[in-house]
Amino acid sequence: MKTLPGIEILHVSQKYKSSRDNTLTDISLTINRSDVFGLLGPNGAGKTTLISILCGIIPPSSGEIGFYLDGRILSESERKRVIGFVPQEYAFYEELSPRQNLDYFGAMYNLPKGQLEIRREELLETLGLLKSADKKVSTFSGGMKRRVNLAIGIIHQPGILFLDEPTVGVDVQSKNAIIRYLQEINRQGTTIVYTSHHMSEAEEFCNRIALIDHGRVISEGYLVDLKTENNVLDLQSLFIKLTGEEYRD
Amino acid sequence: MFKVYSSVRKELLLLLNDRVGLSLMFLMPLLLVFIITIIQDGVYKVVNENQISLLVLNEDKGKQGSKLVSVLRESGLFKIDTLGGSGKKGSQESLKSELLAKGKMIALYIPQKFTSGLEINAGQVSRILMDDLGLEHDSVQAKTAEIPALSFYHDPVLQQNYTYSIMGIIQSYLSVIENSLMIDNMYTTMDMENQSGRLKERMINNRVKINPVVASNNNSMAVPNSTQHNVPAWTIFAMFFMVVSLGSNIVKERVNGSFLRLKTMPTSFMLVMFSKMSVYVMVAVLQVTLTFSMGLWILPRLGLPELSLPSNVLAFASVVFISSMAAVSYALMIGSFARTQEQANGFGAISIIIFGAIGGILVPTFVMPAFMQVASNFSPLHWCLEGFYILFLKGGSWQELGKVFLFLGIFISICQLCTYFKLKLEKII
Repeated sequence: MKTLPGIEILHVSQKYKSSRDNTLTDISLTINRSDVFGLLGPNGAGKTTLISILCGIIPPSSGEIGFYLDGRILSESERKRVIGFVPQEYAFYEELSPRQNLDYFGAMYNLPKGQLEIRREELLETLGLLKSADKKVSTFSGGMKRRVNLAIGIIHQPGILFLDEPTVGVDVQSKNAIIRYLQEINRQGTTIVYTSHHMSEAEEFCNRIALIDHGRVISEGYLVDLKTENNVLDLQSLFIKLTGEEYRD
Repeated sequence: MFKVYSSVRKELLLLLNDRVGLSLMFLMPLLLVFIITIIQDGVYKVVNENQISLLVLNEDKGKQGSKLVSVLRESGLFKIDTLGGSGKKGSQESLKSELLAKGKMIALYIPQKFTSGLEINAGQVSRILMDDLGLEHDSVQAKTAEIPALSFYHDPVLQQNYTYSIMGIIQSYLSVIENSLMIDNMYTTMDMENQSGRLKERMINNRVKINPVVASNNNSMAVPNSTQHNVPAWTIFAMFFMVVSLGSNIVKERVNGSFLRLKTMPTSFMLVMFSKMSVYVMVAVLQVTLTFSMGLWILPRLGLPELSLPSNVLAFASVVFISSMAAVSYALMIGSFARTQEQANGFGAISIIIFGAIGGILVPTFVMPAFMQVASNFSPLHWCLEGFYILFLKGGSWQELGKVFLFLGIFISICQLCTYFKLKLEKII
């Protein structure tokens, strides 16, 4: 059976008015449906900018992006219904409870009231938030806040999920819970595009990666193939080999 | 519809969780109306009451001091309270303390040599006249004396133009006495002392009259009292103070990425703005309801003037709506430009206090210097207050309110456009 492309990125470049150089230069990638695709790179490589472009937050300076479902390119409004986005920041209302946050964002995804309530309770239970579901998020630990952030991004069961550093600053238990849940939804058919600085986590989680440095893709492919081609044992060694050891700002 | 409901509900929940914002928006105006109305009531009474309370200390040995007091009393303009002249040193000093202790704002001191001074002056004037006319008169060496001076004490809170007006009134009655004395003196010199009545009558009573006409639509004679000024004024102030709650709410959503997250969802940013505006317009309506209820039912129980509501309910509702839209739009603009919540709160609050000061909230514009009255036109709070003044005091018509709606409409449009372009620049819209 032919694998249908999930996302096709063609010659995407991005230059901010405030910067002299391109943040992204001629990025072309294909992300297959049901991939767990890792966008990896050192600080300032352009990972967050690329995710922002893919989510439609900022338009690219040049190039094209196509979202496909069952061989058909999606319109902008269809794309917004299909994608889920979990940003690096806690992009929700800390004064509200997880239940109130999920109610609001679920409604913004056009979920009908009944369906939203079922999905909300299911997520609260799965992500271990049920006991604190009516407490203000501002009183939560970092790990709990990350889980709330994730729950909001997947409340509408997206076909494609973008995750920008979803496990940064959380304890091992929360990290495991998040990764386990993401693997589960990937098995159910959700395409995941993910950025992280945790190489061991990315190695465990991703099947394909693109290494980005200075706004360019320096290597891309199946993780197993890349390790073999570069004669390294793990992703961290591959990362160091391709991006160097000097500090990045 | 569920989406709109959820969006409005979220704004309401955020508002209910903002206790500082809520107390600033609801408790502050109630306290301000209560305190400032009590404080300013005395001053407004002085301006509004038919009779001006005047404390008089008459130490004159002759008849003219009493005559001046009597003329002032008979004028009907003054409610006179006299202090017994002790003749002792320092009685003028005691007048100052009595002035404040008796709750009066102005006092008049008539010195001991008031009558003798006036009479000597009148004699000198009549001799000059007789000389100039070549008529004979008593050639005995004329007495000389300084023109007597009255002392006019006033409370420092009184505006200068108001004290000048009162002094002008006293001066005018004093002129009547002086003229009368001069005429008597001239007729006496000419041995016609009993024939001066007709001239005095003609000179004193047949003067050019000034007819007062109130420039209002229904010829209403209403002038603001402390309640009518303070209730709408501090309500407007509190409406604009929503910048602290709404402004920082927007900054938070901009900074934490909630707005950007919404951009990835199948929803319009206009829904977010609509929800915010709806909730905060409701807040403004609630503020008006609370403070106006206080003006209607609580302030009169404290002996303060009762708030009289305008008869044109639709015009009243329109003024409340456009004022709240101006306040909400300003808060949105501050929220979209500020980089941090501290910036939004600090700049927002200070700008409202400045707008309030130049707009006639703290002190009515009619007591301001001319250039400040021109500057007040640049304050949105001034136009909101003007709207309420037109409704309450001038029997306002739609035509008169047109200018208010025009200015506030322009202000709202500018704020909304600035907000739109700033959010567009940040790629949020």
